[in-house]
Amino acid sequence: MMEVKDLTFSYGKDKQALRGLNFMVEDGEIFGFLGPNGSGKSTTQKILTGILKGYGGMVSVFGKDLKSVYTQEFFQKIGMLFEFPYLYANISALDNLRYFSSFYPKEQLRDPEEVLDELEFKKDFLKKPVSTYSKGMRQRVSMARVLISSPKLLFLDEPTSGLDPAGAVLFRRIIEKERKKGTTIFVTTHNMLDADLLCDRVAFISDGKIVAIDTPKNLKEQNSNHSIVVTYQYQGRRKEQTIKALDVKAGIPFSYDELISIHSQEPTLEDIFIQYTGRRLS
Amino acid sequence: MIWKSLSSLFKKDCRMMVSGKFFYLALGSLVFYTLFIHIGYLNFMQDNAGIYQVYLYDPAGIYPQMSPLVHPTDSLESLDEALAEDRSGGVGIHVEEGKPNLILYAGTEKVDRHRADYALLLLQSGSDYKPEIVGEYPLESKLRREITCELLFIEMVAVGFLGIASVLFKEKQMGVIHIHAIMPLKKSLFICSKVFLFLLTDLVFAVFLTLFNVGFREAGAILPAVLVQTGILSLMMAFTGFVCTMLLKDFKQFSLAYLVITLFMATPVFLSANTAIKTDWICYHPFYHVYMGLKDAFFGTPVSNPVYYLCAAGAVILLFGITTIAFRREMGKEG
Repeated sequence: MMEVKDLTFSYGKDKQALRGLNFMVEDGEIFGFLGPNGSGKSTTQKILTGILKGYGGMVSVFGKDLKSVYTQEFFQKIGMLFEFPYLYANISALDNLRYFSSFYPKEQLRDPEEVLDELEFKKDFLKKPVSTYSKGMRQRVSMARVLISSPKLLFLDEPTSGLDPAGAVLFRRIIEKERKKGTTIFVTTHNMLDADLLCDRVAFISDGKIVAIDTPKNLKEQNSNHSIVVTYQYQGRRKEQTIKALDVKAGIPFSYDELISIHSQEPTLEDIFIQYTGRRLS
Repeated sequence: MIWKSLSSLFKKDCRMMVSGKFFYLALGSLVFYTLFIHIGYLNFMQDNAGIYQVYLYDPAGIYPQMSPLVHPTDSLESLDEALAEDRSGGVGIHVEEGKPNLILYAGTEKVDRHRADYALLLLQSGSDYKPEIVGEYPLESKLRREITCELLFIEMVAVGFLGIASVLFKEKQMGVIHIHAIMPLKKSLFICSKVFLFLLTDLVFAVFLTLFNVGFREAGAILPAVLVQTGILSLMMAFTGFVCTMLLKDFKQFSLAYLVITLFMATPVFLSANTAIKTDWICYHPFYHVYMGLKDAFFGTPVSNPVYYLCAAGAVILLFGITTIAFRREMGKEG
């Protein structure tokens, strides 16, 4: 679906934003692009969506060099959810969707009310102007704007930003549903939970370079110290010990009266990111 | 597909314009200008439109065949005194070394061409001197055309320019310009839709302003030429407004640019075209030519020089190019 080789981009003489990125995104994959602000995430996304030109290296999307596919057909096949819910505030959700969908061929369009329904949008607000909506409702309409044209390649920028926990769960479920339909999804985020729960593979980007790329599971396993935290009760006192996972093979290697909990000490994606880059994600 | 996209954009822009209450502003201007012309301006100007008095100091008696409308004076002091007391916009002629020097009042160096022609005609009455005839209209008709032209120019330079900026700043604040960057539409259509809408609004405004104020019968003959000139000015202002909106951060910054553009661009044009104040560089001011083109159109003598139209087309194409670059730059900015 998407292949990037030696991608470089500079905003000026001394502002090198990307320094030779290499990665590949398979058909139907959810690929996460993780990095702090200013790391080059947005620049990469802008290049992949055709907004920024003048880059170095090679980018291939839908099996074609991106430089030759900047056509209406390319834009018909992609969808992008921005971090902020950009909508016309003076008109309703339905009118926004009708307007934005009017640029796509009818055959690929979904029914706006059906999409909003899937996003659990309150029906009472369908015809009210967007200016009266909460941020969560606006984000739902923005997602509907993206989904209405049935894109084959979806770019999501901080997809759960501004949503309450229930909304975030809903969005993750919808993103998963899209992937099941065969949509390829490129997520840029610094939300580790989203990356962990959604992405098949993630790439860590820092200072315009990819420092690690793998599945979240592999990254955690490779960077784990394989230790376990055991909480237990012994002689009327509550205690906690960290032991190596291998030590458990022959049973718990210390005396106890009662085991309270056993937790593996797996690093989070943020821990791994810090290990690789020495910086935090947010 | 292009027409479908353009139609969607155009409908959306119309809604934006309506919700921005721009039509009310245009309608308000139309009513205000019409009332001003009919109730105030025409009455005042006609009451004060007495013929200019011409005073002469000709110590050597070089001009014996002057018109009886000329008031001879016997000294330079008397000439200055007569001009100082005059309330008709009088013209003084001081004949020195056989040459008539025209003065409005003591100390002024310049006199407008209209009054100069009139004074010299009276001075050389009966001779071969023929003033340039720029039109033969009754006073009221001349006044109506003149003021309608001026108000139309003001409306487009000041008010119309604000209209496109107010709509665009709203879209910029809402962030929807970023969405258009990834939509399957030609990006130039976004610009064209807005510019066409404001062009159309200006043309409709020009039609009504001309009909109501020049008069239905006289307007018919001049409207085509007026609309051509309105179109040229409207396109220039719409593109300029578009570029300013894209380059400037917010409406506050725009207000400053607006002041610079309206004051420093329109004021010298008005002063040069309507008063005795003339600056050498005014011929290089593009709006001076457009304003004079509009004025000529109102007086039934539209510009026929193809160079003017070529330059206007070139300016519009150049502005469109600059607008496209500014628009693409805005789309690529951080979302």
